[in-house]
Amino acid sequence: MHETVVQRPARRSSTSFTTGDFVSDSEMVLSSNPAVRRPQEFKAARPGRPNPSELPVAISIADFNAYYGDFQALHQINIRIPQNHVTAFIGPSGCGKSTLLRWINRMNDIIPTAQSSGSIRLGETEVLSKSTDVVGLRRHIGIVFQKPNPFPKSIYDNVAFGPRLHFKASSSQLDQLVEWSLRKAALWDEVKDRLHKSALGLSGGQQQRLCIARAIAVGPKILLMDEPCSALDPASTARVEDLIFELSEQYSIVIVTHNMQQASRCSDSTVFFYEGRVVEHGPTIQVFTRPTHKQTEDYVTGKFG
Amino acid sequence: MASGDFLDLSKLPQRSTVASQRWSSLMTIVLVVCSLISVLTTLGIIAMLVYEASGFFANDQIRLSRFFTDTKWTVGQTQGEIHYGILPLLSGTLRITAIAMLIALPLGVITAVYLSEFASKRVRSILKPALEVLAGIPTVVLGYFAMVFITPYVLQPLGDFKTFNAAAAGIAVGILCLPLVTSLAEDALRAVPRSLREGALGLGATRFETTVKVVLPAALSGIIAAFLLALARAIGETMVVALAAGSTPTWTLDPRLQSQTMAGYIVNTFQSESVVPGSLSYYSIYSVAAVLFVITFGITVLGQYIRRRFREVYN
Amino acid sequence: MAISNTLNRTRSVGSRKSFDRGFQIICLLVASLAIVILVMLVTAILFKGGGWLSWGFLVNSHRENLPEQSGVGQAIIGSLVVCLICGLAAMPIGIATAVFLEEYQPLSRLGRLLHGFIQLNVSNLAGVPSIVYGILGVTAFVYMFGWFGQIQANKPPPVEMGASYFYQTKTLGKKWVQFPASDRTKQVFVIESSLSAFNESGQPIELNVIDRSATAPTEPELRDRTVYAGATASILATKRPWYFHLPFSKSVLSAGLTLALVILPIVIIAAQEAIRAVPSSLREAAYGLGANKWQVVSTTVLPSALPGIMTGAILAMSRAIGEAAPLLAVMGGVISTTNSLGNLMDKSPVLPVTIYRWAQDENPAFENLAAAAIIVLLVFLLLMNSIAILVRNRAERKYA
Repeated sequence: MHETVVQRPARRSSTSFTTGDFVSDSEMVLSSNPAVRRPQEFKAARPGRPNPSELPVAISIADFNAYYGDFQALHQINIRIPQNHVTAFIGPSGCGKSTLLRWINRMNDIIPTAQSSGSIRLGETEVLSKSTDVVGLRRHIGIVFQKPNPFPKSIYDNVAFGPRLHFKASSSQLDQLVEWSLRKAALWDEVKDRLHKSALGLSGGQQQRLCIARAIAVGPKILLMDEPCSALDPASTARVEDLIFELSEQYSIVIVTHNMQQASRCSDSTVFFYEGRVVEHGPTIQVFTRPTHKQTEDYVTGKFG
Repeated sequence: MASGDFLDLSKLPQRSTVASQRWSSLMTIVLVVCSLISVLTTLGIIAMLVYEASGFFANDQIRLSRFFTDTKWTVGQTQGEIHYGILPLLSGTLRITAIAMLIALPLGVITAVYLSEFASKRVRSILKPALEVLAGIPTVVLGYFAMVFITPYVLQPLGDFKTFNAAAAGIAVGILCLPLVTSLAEDALRAVPRSLREGALGLGATRFETTVKVVLPAALSGIIAAFLLALARAIGETMVVALAAGSTPTWTLDPRLQSQTMAGYIVNTFQSESVVPGSLSYYSIYSVAAVLFVITFGITVLGQYIRRRFREVYN
Repeated sequence: MAISNTLNRTRSVGSRKSFDRGFQIICLLVASLAIVILVMLVTAILFKGGGWLSWGFLVNSHRENLPEQSGVGQAIIGSLVVCLICGLAAMPIGIATAVFLEEYQPLSRLGRLLHGFIQLNVSNLAGVPSIVYGILGVTAFVYMFGWFGQIQANKPPPVEMGASYFYQTKTLGKKWVQFPASDRTKQVFVIESSLSAFNESGQPIELNVIDRSATAPTEPELRDRTVYAGATASILATKRPWYFHLPFSKSVLSAGLTLALVILPIVIIAAQEAIRAVPSSLREAAYGLGANKWQVVSTTVLPSALPGIMTGAILAMSRAIGEAAPLLAVMGGVISTTNSLGNLMDKSPVLPVTIYRWAQDENPAFENLAAAAIIVLLVFLLLMNSIAILVRNRAERKYA
């Protein structure tokens, strides 16, 4: 599949990624002005990352507009999110990135004034269609929220919640599933002796990893993360970021973040939003070091936002 | 199913979302039906009162105008003329309610002012539980207290109060309504934003001046709502008056005499075994209850409306 | 000059300050009035009734004109049974209504109207006097709108279940025998011929019927089952614990259901607050994992709100246990029953009504007994409120 992954910016003629977009560690571009806080370290620069243009599309967003009542939050969004790839949504507050994230799994259904037009496709399924089985959809899309929100139940019951809803599993199968999810979320060793204690006794970072385990326990293909580390301390943040890197082997991840260093550390591609529009979408390194729009440049260098 | 990196959930039988969705819709219907029971209760009360009270007025002896203008009530007495003017019962209700409000309203508002503006944490931790305990005391107990303590030890030393009198009942009903007024008035005072108080204090006003000139006026409609809701409670109060106020309706303003209220009449009539369905006494219960219901429901609706409007202003 | 004149005319700060302090003191005095009243109340009651409390008081039932031997035994049981029925009826309906009002905010205009109407209705029902609920209870439960006819004295109810009717008579040997009744509307049965019956120990016997003019047998075993022809047997009903008839008439069932209506608005409002207190982040997490509306409510919202709902329910029931007015209407001023409570259709004394009757009794000793009964009632209330507080604290500790 050679779908164009990048929105066509006016000035650039190239419309697809080439291997030249991926610089090796030794060619990290440094900003000309040493005082500027442009991110320096890039995940996508690590060896072994696949070329996104060779990846199939997980989510295809076309001509998407979102409204809260009369206020239009998103304008004509066109993005293709690749599979097994980490895509970061960045932008100043209020730019619509969280809104878009929540539309992908129809979380905005709870909000009565939220409306949309356009299309969001997941494989064959049109997410926005009224006839879509939203409950089934959310089995294929996991979501992790900004503030960890474990249920006031035991750790085991938290992870088993989703599987119990959607599958008929025997208790030994559930045990296996819970262990697997907790291992994948890098939490198993810390909680294996207290699976049946309350989840509220865990630290913030552990709770967030529990929420990640909970989300992957139902076997989604896509993981949505809405500023997952903003409520965590730096040590927990680092662990969750490592986890995101590992998880991207298996899941397509979309992460919303206002922390540019995090975006650069975690993501392969970045989409920059401003006032409800996509300004730039490309490989993370390129967006941060050689953006095509001045707005992007201003944002990543900290002039605003 | 799960091995190493790979999670193959397709081996697990899935629960059908259609089935659980159907169950969810069924539960929605169940919940709506249960919710309608409360509506049914209101409609039931209204329908019943209208139907049976019309049975009262269908009787040839009863004329609607006399119901509202006659000053004697002798329904239930076997001898003498039948008088069915509701005014004596209304007057009894009015007397007792007036005394109750005279006690509950000022004391309640001042207590609320103290709790919300001045009280320290320690005082609050004693006063609030005390008020909650007072609020939880059953009305029979207060009626007993009025009969056994207030009349002989508080009122009779002061004047020629009869054994059953309106004043003792009024005081007891006032005590009953005091926690309600305090709690609602305190809610109203707390809803007033701190910035208003800080503005007045910043201009050099004392706490008293701030309270009286800024906070109370701002909370006024909330306090009016509190008054109305407590009023409805006082009007409908039954056991206190049944025990302490006597069972003879009187058309007077003198609080030292017996005075049966509308609610008291209903209870007293139920107690006497002469209530046979179809008799005049039976129907009279419904017509008195209809008047009682209309008054209390009307006041409650008004009070809730004002309270809601007040909350909207400060939210 | 002009300015200093103006300044001289301002109110002295000192007087305003002392006024302020005086006001604070007045407020404190008024506020403590509530405590003073409470103390006076409790002291008066203890003083009047404390001397009459005893174990016998708790166990005996009312004895006419014998205050020393009267007690609240039946009343306690009656109150507990009525409260249980009331709770079982009010809680499911109240919680269901609260769940609907809080979780199911409809989108359509019609739905929103219905929703607002129900909410309004609940708030206004809380202000209806309890005696009006009593009248509603009489019409709806005791007489059941006349749909099933009326219960007349000495006649069985139009619709009933769980009662077996027997005719009963005394034999020559002064022993009771019973035999099943085929027609329960006949109050008496004239015995003409021999039939099968049961003796006092429940064994089947053959009833021996002899002519009036014949000589009576002398053998005790035969005398124990012999009657003269023409002897009358009167009807007797044995009621099983699940005995039940329509209309309910004055019974603890009617009383419990009426009280359920009284506390229903309170339960709904308390449950609503408890449900509202569940943080929306939990709901979001459940939705995000693919739960539908009912699954979110049943697996996440209700379990979290349960302690608050329980606390509210217990407090509502403590309100119910003290209500006298509706019970006076629905069960009458029952102060004692000959048999103790056997089934739901029996009447029973309850604590508040007993207090009311004793307070009005001519015998002044019963006035003191009323105070003792009040103490028992207040102890129950204290117990229930303590349980409610315990439940709330345990829940807070569990989720701290």
